[in-house]
Amino acid sequence: MAAADANNEPLLVVEDYEVGFRTERGLARAVDKVSFELDRGETLGIVGESGSGKSVLNRGIMGLVSSNRMIEDGSVLFDGGQMVNRNRQEFWGAKIGMIFQDPMTSLNPVMKIGKQIFEPLRQHLGLDKGEAETRAIELLTQVGIPEPARRIKQYPHELSGGMRQRVMIAIALAAEPEMLIADEPTTALDVTVQKYILDLLRQLQLDRGMAMTLITHDLGVARGRTDNVMVMYGGRVMEHAPTDTIFAEMRHPYTEALLASVPSLKHAKHTRLTPIPGAPPDIVNPPPGCRFSPRCKYAQPKCTEQAPELNEGEHRYACFYPVGTDASAEALEKNMAQGHTATGLKIGLAPAKAAG
Amino acid sequence: MMILLLIAVSMLTFAAMSFLGDPLFNILGPVAGDTENPENLAKIEAAKEQYYLDKPLPERYARWAGDFVTGDFGVQFSTDGQPPVSGLLKERLPRTLQLMLMAQFLALAIAIPWGVVTASRANGVVDRASTFTSFMFVSLPNFALAVILFYIFALKLDWLPDTYHATDPFWGLTHRHRLVQLVLPAFTLALPGASVYQRLLRTDLITTLQEDFILMARAKGVPKWRVLFRHALRPSMFSVITIFGINAGALIGGALVVEIYFRIPGVGTAIVEAVLREDFPVVLALVMVIATAFVVLNFIVDVFYTFLDPRVRR
Amino acid sequence: MTDTLSSPSSPSGDPIVEIIDTADERASDTIEKRTLGLGFWLCIGWLVFICGLAALAPILPLKDPDENFLQFEEKESALTGRVTEAPVQPPYGPSAEHWFGTDLDARDMLSRTIYGARVSLVVGFAAIAFGMLVGGSLGMVAGFVGGWFDRVVSFCFLVLLSFPALILAILITSLASRSLFTIALTLGILSVSPVGRLARAATLVFAEREFVTAARTLGAKPSRIIRREILPNVMIPMSALALLGMAVSIVAEGALAFLGLSVEKGSTWGKLIRTAVNSTSDLESAPWMAFTPIGFLFLTVMALNFAGDRLRDYFDVKELSI
Ligand SMILES: Nc1ncnc2c1ncn2[C@@H]1O[C@H](COP(=O)(O)OP(=O)(O)O)[C@@H](O)[C@H]1O
Ligand code: SF4
Ligand SMILES: [Mg+2]
Repeated sequence: MAAADANNEPLLVVEDYEVGFRTERGLARAVDKVSFELDRGETLGIVGESGSGKSVLNRGIMGLVSSNRMIEDGSVLFDGGQMVNRNRQEFWGAKIGMIFQDPMTSLNPVMKIGKQIFEPLRQHLGLDKGEAETRAIELLTQVGIPEPARRIKQYPHELSGGMRQRVMIAIALAAEPEMLIADEPTTALDVTVQKYILDLLRQLQLDRGMAMTLITHDLGVARGRTDNVMVMYGGRVMEHAPTDTIFAEMRHPYTEALLASVPSLKHAKHTRLTPIPGAPPDIVNPPPGCRFSPRCKYAQPKCTEQAPELNEGEHRYACFYPVGTDASAEALEKNMAQGHTATGLKIGLAPAKAAG
Repeated sequence: MMILLLIAVSMLTFAAMSFLGDPLFNILGPVAGDTENPENLAKIEAAKEQYYLDKPLPERYARWAGDFVTGDFGVQFSTDGQPPVSGLLKERLPRTLQLMLMAQFLALAIAIPWGVVTASRANGVVDRASTFTSFMFVSLPNFALAVILFYIFALKLDWLPDTYHATDPFWGLTHRHRLVQLVLPAFTLALPGASVYQRLLRTDLITTLQEDFILMARAKGVPKWRVLFRHALRPSMFSVITIFGINAGALIGGALVVEIYFRIPGVGTAIVEAVLREDFPVVLALVMVIATAFVVLNFIVDVFYTFLDPRVRR
Repeated sequence: MTDTLSSPSSPSGDPIVEIIDTADERASDTIEKRTLGLGFWLCIGWLVFICGLAALAPILPLKDPDENFLQFEEKESALTGRVTEAPVQPPYGPSAEHWFGTDLDARDMLSRTIYGARVSLVVGFAAIAFGMLVGGSLGMVAGFVGGWFDRVVSFCFLVLLSFPALILAILITSLASRSLFTIALTLGILSVSPVGRLARAATLVFAEREFVTAARTLGAKPSRIIRREILPNVMIPMSALALLGMAVSIVAEGALAFLGLSVEKGSTWGKLIRTAVNSTSDLESAPWMAFTPIGFLFLTVMALNFAGDRLRDYFDVKELSI
């Protein structure tokens, strides 16, 4: 495991971190008391449906949430230094790199590729033009771009989507950051290209011993490419465990539902998908108790009265009736018998199979 | 398309000359009616020859257009033909061009920083104040602005020389003098233009600043002034460039007014003088020159797009 | 659910961070779009006021704009020592008697400006009315029937636009007599293409909508569809353009007047300004002569522009520039 040198201090320690947006309807809690640690050289998969706060969490950590209606609270220690409520510009590119979802829109369309790679090289490493060019060509070679010397004279629109994403990776890695945030790096790409990019990212991360958060809405993407997986829902952490553990013995009903709902990259054709019923929670007025309760097939009256806490330890999860325990089996049986859950969600026989 | 447009424009101009009243009278004024005087008779003959008046209309147009294209813009009848219109143009055009270039340069020099500052703090105090200011400049007609600027800077503050002396030869002025004497007129033209450009630039910049590649640029640690000027500015210039062409019409009209008020002997003054002297051939020629320049400019603007946006390059 | 998120300010005092907020922009846009706002009604108020003044000028208790209000002072003759009444050299500055001063002939600036408004406003109004009538109907028909007619009309609009406006105005006014009618007509011709292009664009949009298609399939006559279905909808964006266009026409008249090429008889704001600034020394000694008409012109143009702008935003008209 890459996090072998875990005897060191973790690179990132996030504690009770919160991000809210003042809206006309009230405070939107996009990230709600999130705590986790990220070791040097570790890859953490952050998984959740769209709108679950993954991007806001990561951009919040980096200090790159672009809104004057944003409020943050809690503690984020990067390399021992407090990040919250201060300008984090000095970290951008130099300590933390970031790659975005859509390579079509994330590269400046009217600036040559070369210039876009030179910028961080000259800014953070102080290279002169010639050195920057040499380095840029090296970087492009590393991310698997053929004919790099020619590419740096081209504009983004002259490259394919996959190539552009490689360019973006090269830019993010240019100043050798200690941490890389990859926010849905392959969502906008062809399925055939996705795997190459993901494997390339993992490869580069391992080679450089860099920490990485890999954000995705697809649990399958995290499989085999991450050390740990953290599942988020409605701005909260639902489950957090080593990747193998998550797939072998997931505890949270949301994780379970998530896995059943998304086609996996590997066996896209064979899996039958079960969409999660209902819609993601309203983060201004979240449902009482467990946020997942309106959509959870195990939900019991207790779930609507009280919010479950994350437990401590290697495998963290926040649920009163964890999957795979007797409690959950009982709860499901009860709900099946009455035909609906404690929140009125109708359930029939079909989902019962998935529970087993 | 541009050629077609030019032909249509010239036909319209020519037709206006030919149909609004007696063409000979239009060309010569009262002289046309006075056929007794042999001297006038010669003039009439000359005019008829110059404008091919004894030929049918289509041929007249074709010949006149042929002359025009080859640089023969006709003569000034009111001054017994001296200097020819092309000579007049050669003398007047540099001043007008200098004025307009300086005005456009000033307008951009003001609008770009202004637009960037207001966009980067959209809806802030500065932005709100500037919305009001630019609205004022847009609503202040050129001639009123000219009077106001002249009153404040030339009369009250006594900062700048009032005007040209019409008789000063253009190249006779010292370089510094030339510039200084152009400052007030140029500002009069530039301020409304700058306001329009600033509004457009601000709107486009706000849109651009929400683009992913701006976030990307920030995330890779590019300092914010560089993000604004190097990453955001260029893709935000399209509206400004478009309006640059359209605005040229207003600028030409403005230049006319400003030249008259500041007594700058340029093309605008020439055209108004010609109108007041009822020397229509000169009006015709100058209108054609200006309209041509305008159409060509708009064509150039189209070409300039490709420079701004490599995506439309072929 | 305790409110721990209490830190009041943005975490970084970094301006660029504040702008990129899509949500913010949209929120403020919608707020502004919901109402026309106080500014709009202030502008309309001013326009009603100035139009009322101009229309009712003859029956209002205004001074006669052509009367010479010479002021006299007692003067002791150096020769005879006799005290006589001698006229003071006009222009006179603003006073309780003449709020905005008088001109060189001791005529009251305020009433001259208000009477000047009559011509300026009529020219502006007539010009845009002509533009609406001709440009609007041409554009609407062109947009509706399409085909060669559309292409010809669009090309004509383009040709008209290829002249810098003031140049075209000079060309026409130099060849025809400079009466109120020609000036208004000239400026009207100038507004034909901008209005026409908008009308055409708006028609193209509405011609696709269900209610028009429905009317068509029901067999309504084209002329009826234009009158009943398209005209009312096209009128909305046109009303905004009418205000902006009137501002343009008033300014254009002023510019022509400033060049000495506007109406020969009667006074307009442009002519008043031109007279006032004719000599530098007059401008220096009696600035009120220039700034009174400039002020009225400016306020009127600004009111028209602002009201038109608000209206345009209110109805969210995109295709309105030029
Ligand atoms: N600038 C903002 N203003 C208000 N709400 C926002 C803003 N940015 C994000 N949000 C809200 O925060 C929540 C989390 O968004 P995000 O982190 O982008 O989700 P994810 O990346 O998991 O798809 C969403 O409900 C979104 O509406
Ligand atoms: S079982 Fe209860 S606590 Fe667990 S996820 Fe479902 S609703 Fe939440
Ligand atoms: Mg996201």
